Order: sequence, then C-alpha cells, then structure tokens
Amino acid sequence: MYQLSRVTKLYHKGRATVQAVNEVDLTIGDGDWLAIQGRTGHGKTTLLQLLGGLDHPTSGTIELDGQDITHMREAQVTRLRATSIGFVFQTFNLMQTLTAADNVEAALIPLRIGWAERRRRTAEALDSVGLSDRARHLPSELSGGQQQRVAIARALVKEPKVLLADEPTGNLDEDTREDIIALLERLWRERGLTMVLVTHETTVALRARRIAVMNKGRLAVRATGAAATSIGPVRSD
Amino acid sequence: MFFVTCVWRELRHRMRQAIFIALGLALGVGLVVTVAAASAGVTKAQAGVLGTLYGAATTVTVTGPKWQGPSTNPKGTLSPRFGPHGPEICVTGGKCTSAAGKTLSTNDTLTEGISVARVAAAARLPDVAAAAGGIFLNESSVSWPKNAASTARSGGIPRPGGRPPRGGPALPGGGRAGGYPLEGVDTGDPTLGPLGGASLISGRLFTAADAGAHVAVVDSTFAGSHRLRIGAVLPIVGPADAHGYAPAIKFTVIGVVRQAAGTNPPSVYVPLKAAQDLLWIQTGSPSLHGKVTSIYLAAASAADVPAVTQEITRLLPGTTVDSASNLATQVAGSVTSAVKLAHDLGRWLAVLVLVAAFAVASLLTMGAVTHRAVEFGTLKALGWRTRRIIAWVLGESLAVGLTGAAAGIALGYAGAAIIAAVTPSVSATVGLGDLLGGHSRLIGGSPVQTATVPLHLSVSAGLIALAVLLAVVGALLAGAFGSWRIARLRPACALSQVA
Repeated sequence: MYQLSRVTKLYHKGRATVQAVNEVDLTIGDGDWLAIQGRTGHGKTTLLQLLGGLDHPTSGTIELDGQDITHMREAQVTRLRATSIGFVFQTFNLMQTLTAADNVEAALIPLRIGWAERRRRTAEALDSVGLSDRARHLPSELSGGQQQRVAIARALVKEPKVLLADEPTGNLDEDTREDIIALLERLWRERGLTMVLVTHETTVALRARRIAVMNKGRLAVRATGAAATSIGPVRSD
Repeated sequence: MFFVTCVWRELRHRMRQAIFIALGLALGVGLVVTVAAASAGVTKAQAGVLGTLYGAATTVTVTGPKWQGPSTNPKGTLSPRFGPHGPEICVTGGKCTSAAGKTLSTNDTLTEGISVARVAAAARLPDVAAAAGGIFLNESSVSWPKNAASTARSGGIPRPGGRPPRGGPALPGGGRAGGYPLEGVDTGDPTLGPLGGASLISGRLFTAADAGAHVAVVDSTFAGSHRLRIGAVLPIVGPADAHGYAPAIKFTVIGVVRQAAGTNPPSVYVPLKAAQDLLWIQTGSPSLHGKVTSIYLAAASAADVPAVTQEITRLLPGTTVDSASNLATQVAGSVTSAVKLAHDLGRWLAVLVLVAAFAVASLLTMGAVTHRAVEFGTLKALGWRTRRIIAWVLGESLAVGLTGAAAGIALGYAGAAIIAAVTPSVSATVGLGDLLGGHSRLIGGSPVQTATVPLHLSVSAGLIALAVLLAVVGALLAGAFGSWRIARLRPACALSQVA
C-alpha cells in the first residue's frame, strides 16, 4: 500500500528550522493497522498529513499503490483523497452548520454520485456506526463520542482503501475512547482497511497490529500481536 | 440541493454578519438609486422648465446674426438728446425741438432678419417635424414732463396719440423710460415658440385666420398692470413716416395667457405679419418685411436634435443655433442647484458609500474565511476541490448581495419619496435674451424668465437592474477576496490551526 523512502519534512520559522520528519523509511501493507505513537510535537501528525497528501515532504518519496504522490499535481492528490483516503481528526472537524447526515454526505460530493445514491450510502454509513437516529442532529446536539462516530462514518462512506486517524480518541473520556477504538477495530476487520492511527496513548496503540514510535522526527517500528509485516530499517531513538 | 443547503445553513449561522454586510450594500445601492432618481427627476424638471419657457414642442431655436447696421443715423432720422435747454428731439441734418411733455416710442431689434423662405427650407429638413418663424421686438418708450429740467441728458419726439410709459428707470430731467418685450407669432403653428408654453386664462389664442390682423394676446401680468381686458385696445407704435412720426397701430386684445410663474415673459404676442410691419426704422433697426428674427424647430425625436442642429447650421450659416441641451446650461435657479447637487455631490457620495460597503464586505468575508480555515481544510481533506469550496463562499456572497439589492431598492424608493415630499417643486430662471437668441435691448428690467415645475422622482426598471448589479458585483467582489484566501490555503496549515 504505502512505501516511504527517506521522507523528510522541514519547517522554516524565520532563521530557525524545525525538522518535523527526519528521513523516515516505512512500508505499510494492504490491510495493515499501524499505530504511530510518540510525544506531542515529535512529528506524528506531520507524518500522517504526508501520508494523506495534505502536505508535501521536503525530500524523499511516498508511494501509494505504486503511485508517487509527492510529485502529483494538486488536483490528482485531491482526487486521490476523495476516492481512496479517509480522515478522522482529534477534534472531529464536523461542519457545525450541517446535520450529521449532511456531514457524512459531504464526503460523497466530490464523487459526483446522484442524490439518491448519496442518501442511501449516507444512511448505511450512519447505521454502521449506530447513529441512524441522529441523522438530522447538528454536531452541537451530539456528544463527543457521537460526533466522532459521525466523523468515522464520513471517513468510511466513500469506501476508502486507507483510513488515517489522528488522535481519534484524544478528546474523549475513557469509556467513549474504548467504544471508538472498538468501532474502528471492527470496521477495520470488516472492510479490510489499511489503517494508520496516530495516538499518544499506549493502550490505544497496543490494539494495533504494529506500533511505530516517532521520536524527534525519527521513526522506529516494532511488531505486536500478529506477525510483523515487512518494514524498512529500524532506527533507534 | 446540497450546495443550497450548505449556503443557507452557513448564512443562518452567521446571520448577524450577513445582515451587516447586506445592510452596508443596501445603503450604498439605496443611495445610488435615490441619487439617480433625483438626477432623472431634476433633469426632467429642467426639460419641463425649458418647455414651459419657450414652448414644449420647440427643441431647437435659430436666431439671426447681430445686425451690422450703419454706425450713424441716416439723414432724416430722429434721435433724442439733452441740449442746453433740456431734452430735445433732433432730426439728423436738421433742427432740434423741445421734448418736454412729449413721449417717444420705438420698437426695435438688434438681430438681422432671416428670410421666411428659410423658414420653409428649415421645415423641409429631414429630421425636422415642424418649423415656425417668430419676431422678437422691444417696445420701448421715454417721456418727459412738461417741466423737464435743463440738466436732463436725453429727449424725445412728440408722438401723436402716444401713451406715457409706466414706471421704468428715471432719466435726467425727470424723464421716465419703460418698455415691454413683444413677440410676433406664426399663427399657423403657435405651439412653437414662447406662446406654446403659455396657459390661456381668458379669451382665445391665435388662429390661422388672424394672420396679419391687428389682434394681440397679452400676458396676465401685463394685462393687470395696463388694465387690459378682452376687447381692449392696445396701441403699439408702428413704422415711421417720412417725417419720422410713428402713429400707433391699434391692436385688439383677444386673449390673456399666463406663463408658469413667469416674471417678464413676452408681454404681448401679435401675429407675425403684424410684427413685421411694426418695426420702426427710426433708430436704425433693419426692416423685417418678409423676415423673421427667430426660427423655432421641433425635431422628429429627441435623438434627432443633434442632427437637426447640424443641418440648420449648414443651411443658415452665421445664425445662432440653440438646442434644449445647451439652453439647459444657461438655466439658473433651484433646479440648477438640484442638478448640481444630484450630479456632483450626490454621485460622489453614492460612490464613496458603495466603495466603503464593498470594503467592509470584503474585510468581513476574508475574516470569515480565516475563521473557517479548519472547515475548508477539512473539506480539502475530504477531497473537495478548491473551486468547489470557492463556489460555496461565492454562493453565500451572492445570497447576501441579492438581499442587499432588494433592501437597497426599497431604500432607494424611500429616499426618492422623501425627497419628493420635502422638495415638491423646483424653480428655474433663464435669460430671456439667451433664450431668444440675443434680442437683448430691453430698457428697464432684466431679461429673465422664471418658471416653477413640480419635481417627480421615478425609479425605472433600468435603475433597479443597476442596483441589483451593483449589489451583486460588490458581494461577489467581497467573496472573491475570500476565495483568493481559500485558494492559497494549504490543508495541513488549515488543519493545524486547531491543533
């Protein structure tokens, strides 16, 4: 699925340079569930954004299904995100003026699907996360856990190949956190998704098939649970 | 449908800001509509004034060139002077006699006559609907009492049957000067020329049968001051005989008219042929037999006025050609002030307010885009193309613009109604000499004419379309600034604003 080769991301702030991602080599296979763990500010979110084509690396290449997304035109990357990549954010990032159903439907707009088909898939997606009865509620009328479910439904309604989740349980209480992780795990198994989940919580990371640790922009991967998939060079902290 | 839902929900969420922007646009647009309606109204009033002053049907006036007569009076001409013994009348090349107790009356014009054949030729021009000739004369009189002082400086010839002038400026020796303007009217088409704008109060106007008859229509103010009624006799000095005496010709008053709030319109109107006979060559003015001093033309349409002006200039070189538009520049009075106010101050004020509204709308829209950076970054993460997001923002701006347009049109109507209520009419003054092409040798009084016309403000369909266009353009302009920001927005940066 993903092949990262010597990926580096630098940010320049005046005279200072921040190395958010430092020569990361990584392979993520189809159907893999990788958790990226690490302290705040060590490049986890940056790496996730690079995987999702939301930003471009300063150097190195990122291939998704054999396509080098680092040198794609913006329109091509946007199309890729529309069809193949789903995002879940820590703060849910729902449109506050749209209902739960409208938020989910928004993910289908770029696919130019007919209205009836959009409505059908939206209903299915909300049903899969157990929120059929909340379709017409605004985000302000939903709990944190419900909002994140809506966000998950929105990410998966277009049946992507990859799900990128950035601290999906970061703003939730413990019980709700467990519900969300359980939901993600179920959906991962049911749909054969490739999932990359960023978290700073070890309990969440341990649920994944593999765990990678980001430390000052450098990535170290170790296997957990099931047999390890093929990985690049392991770099120690 | 999803797009409309997004736009409507977002505007409802930011209702206060949307209303603020819409109100700003409405204010600018409303001001434009009000100013434009006022401008159209006063321009129409000005045109109405001109129509009142020299006939609603007349669109072009032609005046003969200035008379280039001899610098000295020919032999036998009578002229006044003030001699060592008081006012006198002297015959050029002859004797002088005392003018004490006598009245001298003259009528003259300082314009070369235009042949009536030229009037017919003007009527045949392709863009001319009608043409009529007119003669403007100045009937003037001076008189001295029997005890005229020896320090007086001018005198007069006794005129059998002459009438002492009323009022007028004082002359040395106790003399008084006076006079009134007289217009010869084409009885075949009296609607062209100054009589065309008059309202009949009593009696009747001229008919074709009156051509050459000694009948007169008088202005109501003149009739009042001279105690003239229908059927009264008005003596007007005629052409001089060989001895220089000018017997009065008796005109019968057949009608009394009123010009709109006029103060010195032509006081007396007589048929054209009678006016041609009236000119007294005593003072050296040219004979007008077979001639007119002015031609009044009606163009086939307002669009033909420039063409008519050009054609008549070619046909009659050396004449003065005036159309409604250049006469409009000579109009004074409150209508002129209103026109200037609407065109200058009003226009710039409207432009300033519009620019301010556009600027505020742009700033607020850009601020809103900044505030919604995470939202737009998320949409980009979902795969929305930038142009789709821009279309959403522009859709919101368009909705606000249309709301502003509707409110602006309503404000414009209200503004026009308020102006019409506060200023129901305007006045205009125009130089009568200018109006009639320079026949300006009145003795006593300024050659001006004033009219008052009601002010009607109207909002046309074109103005409404302009208002909508301005509001929509302004709103889209504001949206464009926001859209530019969106286009430059990198998803990662936008999303990190929450983090």
